[in-house]
Amino acid sequence: MSQPNVSNPDDAKLLPPLDLSKWRKLPGQLMAIGGLVVLVGLIVSWRQPEEHSLKAFGYSWLLAFMFYLSLGLGGMFLVLVHHLFDAGWSVATRRFCEHLASLLFPWLAVLFVPVALLAPKLFGWMTVADPKADHALYAKLPLFTVVGFYVISAGCFGLWWLLANRLKYWSLRQDETGEALCTFKMRMHSCWGIWVFAFTLTLAAIMWMKGLQHQWFSTMYGVYYFAGSVWLTLATVYIITMVLDRQRILSQVLHEHQFYFLGTLLFAFTVFWAYVTFSQYFIIWNANIPEETFWYVIREQGSWFYIGMVIIFGHFFLPFLSLLRIDVKHTFPVMVPLCLWAWAMHFVDLSFNILPVYYDHGFPFHILWLPLGCLAFMGGLLAKVFLKEFAGAPPFPRKDPRLVEAMGLYHPVPTQISGGELDQADDMPDATIQPKGNQ
Amino acid sequence: MAEAVTQIKVPVPPPELQRVPLVQNNRSFGWISDRVSAITEGKAPKWWWAAFIPSFGFMCLLGAMLIYQITTGVAVWGNHHPTMWGWDIINFVWWIGIGHAGTLISAILFLLRQRWRTAVNRAAEAMTIFAVMCAGIFPAMHVGRVWFDWWLFPIPTSNALWPQFRSPLMWDVFAVSTYFTVSVLFWYTGLVPDLATMRDRAKTKIKQFIYGLFALGWTGSNRNWSNYEKAYLILAGLSTPLVLSVHSIVSLDFAVSQLPGWHTTIFPPYFVAGAIFSGFGMVLTLLIPLRSMCKLEDIITMRHIDVMCKVTLATGSIVGYAYIMELFIAWYSGSLFERFAFINRAMGPYWWGYWLMFCCNVFVPQLFWFKKIRNHLAIVFILSILVNVGMWFERFVIVVISLHREFLPSNWGYFAPTWVDICTFLGTFGLFFTMFLLFMRFLPMIAVSEVKGVTPQADPHHPLAKGNGGNH
Repeated sequence: MSQPNVSNPDDAKLLPPLDLSKWRKLPGQLMAIGGLVVLVGLIVSWRQPEEHSLKAFGYSWLLAFMFYLSLGLGGMFLVLVHHLFDAGWSVATRRFCEHLASLLFPWLAVLFVPVALLAPKLFGWMTVADPKADHALYAKLPLFTVVGFYVISAGCFGLWWLLANRLKYWSLRQDETGEALCTFKMRMHSCWGIWVFAFTLTLAAIMWMKGLQHQWFSTMYGVYYFAGSVWLTLATVYIITMVLDRQRILSQVLHEHQFYFLGTLLFAFTVFWAYVTFSQYFIIWNANIPEETFWYVIREQGSWFYIGMVIIFGHFFLPFLSLLRIDVKHTFPVMVPLCLWAWAMHFVDLSFNILPVYYDHGFPFHILWLPLGCLAFMGGLLAKVFLKEFAGAPPFPRKDPRLVEAMGLYHPVPTQISGGELDQADDMPDATIQPKGNQ
Repeated sequence: MAEAVTQIKVPVPPPELQRVPLVQNNRSFGWISDRVSAITEGKAPKWWWAAFIPSFGFMCLLGAMLIYQITTGVAVWGNHHPTMWGWDIINFVWWIGIGHAGTLISAILFLLRQRWRTAVNRAAEAMTIFAVMCAGIFPAMHVGRVWFDWWLFPIPTSNALWPQFRSPLMWDVFAVSTYFTVSVLFWYTGLVPDLATMRDRAKTKIKQFIYGLFALGWTGSNRNWSNYEKAYLILAGLSTPLVLSVHSIVSLDFAVSQLPGWHTTIFPPYFVAGAIFSGFGMVLTLLIPLRSMCKLEDIITMRHIDVMCKVTLATGSIVGYAYIMELFIAWYSGSLFERFAFINRAMGPYWWGYWLMFCCNVFVPQLFWFKKIRNHLAIVFILSILVNVGMWFERFVIVVISLHREFLPSNWGYFAPTWVDICTFLGTFGLFFTMFLLFMRFLPMIAVSEVKGVTPQADPHHPLAKGNGGNH
């Protein structure tokens, strides 16, 4: 089989490039503005009476941290499943998912430092004088000890570094050599990696989020955090792919399928998240055991009830109904706002989990600027790191053996019923050419 | 930001990473039709009779056991206080679980554009329908007074009886009956083009009439195909949530209670993963010998076996995660009753059941990480049986071990099945295999039209597509 050369993508299929000149400084601006807000928030929060000192800042920082942790872990998951399922279509988007996973260490580990320092203020169980007097805490020893907390945290970041590092190393090496060995190595790391990923994500969600109310327990919690994280990441990946396509960086290796598949996955995870969240709620509500229901009772107080409604309709119904149609999945004017909406909804969802611990009477609208500032600061910093990493490596795995499939040059199947592609016609002579992201 | 490339060389996959064709040896359309139809045409082979006669015998045994149970009462089973749910509910959940792979393959894999499904979907769908039939028997009998089963349906009566909609057992009735109905419809819709092929090949008038009747006047015209594909897509969309909902609702039979070991929020996705796991286990158990006996190796290829092993591995690992999470949260919760329930599972009188479950469902599928094992048919066959054994014991652990020791030691007991339990369970195998063997004798067990669609010559760009693809 000869090596086909592909050059000069058909411009008729592409929308005009975006003017990104105004946006180039955005990460720096976000860092500056966010950093200022964080600083003000830190001072304001620090000047509170002793029992409240630094708590507002701590919970806001934790919320923003868990938000971006979702992105790092989601990126890692997409890379892992790409290798485990021997996927073809996702080759084009894999490289920047690897960069997302690389954010986990050292950058998210660095951003975790304030959480680690403020942990005694955030996690009530850390300041219980006599753990034996608190059954829910005593039962969790030695996991819920100060040492246990830091060991688990360090272990999670260590394993994430190892996994992200190995996957990226072999991916970049394949760019040079094109060896099949690199694919096999990445699969091998994904094999142990998927188990490590599952348990470290669960432990992180338990220790850093569920542990805020250590009396509460749910076997679903890890799955719940996972579902939301992948949902957020898919929305992010969609936008990044769209931008890289418009800028002609990935346009040669992208086919319309990638947008369709990403949209379909986003739809699937919209439903999966709702399924998981509803199941957890319904089982606890129906059994009506006070040790479990108290967590939801707190989240029905004051404006938290309305936040719950926003989550039901905004996190599920709106994206579900929007994504039902096939053509929507590659219609940028619908998908881009929807993906940005997903960012907002994931933030609201994590707020619903974290903030009622401190603000038990309702959503803290009065201090919303602080978590948003934390979010902006971290977002700016991580965006800078991401862009630097992206510039330092080829934008896609250029010698990946499955690249030919990602580009849509491998068409073994013509019919829809057999699982073939819906838009085969665009490769046929005289077929009408539809631009990607039709408007 | 990295610079855009103006010209790229597309790497060709090295030999070890080349995709294996879904139909091997460049088989023509005509060969596919002949080979699949041959199973239903001509005399039944000896092996078929060798399988059918004992299966039919066991089905008769099932009939005898059900008559005995109806005329005598539920007490002929081993159910007793405190284990009021026994083998009946275990078998119900087990069979329902097996009935998941078919619709998953047909609907979800169709929507996900997994082309490999075409070789196995028809048999898996049939398996689904027969498994759900077996499952339905147990709760229908378990109510005790079978002649009042119709009360489960919301039919107004002169006694003003109305089902208790707050009971998860009622949700089961609706979930399972909807699933069964849609699965049958989906199966039948997929069969229509192949029934027309059978009609056109039929040698006798009776066969022509019967196949023709069910082929609904199929001519293979563009309009026929267009309508068919739309209907198939819609049914796939309708079936997809049902695949998830049925076992989620079955899991709620347990999870909405307050019983330690049952009340676990992860139960819905854990049950669904387990159901798909056991369903694929049964598909492998059935298709590995059948592909050889019906000489279908070029259609159900090693690639299909490989992929199904991977699905089994993935779902087995999810089940493993759920087991570990249950254990962990039992400890984490600090609930003494939860902790006792799990210690009792692992070290109580039924410890062997728990560890058998754990080994078969968590450790055994991990062997599928190795390609050599996935490529060894005999090992895959044995492992697929172990998966089914493990999944049966999972339900045994959930039902019997959770129930046999109540909160008060004075309410503890030990469950043992009676001979009626055992014979009834064996009888459902008879029903299942009898139905399956009849299905493969009278209907095409491979979706002929769909398999043709994944051959290279079906591609308009392929040289063979210009009329050299063989006879239809």
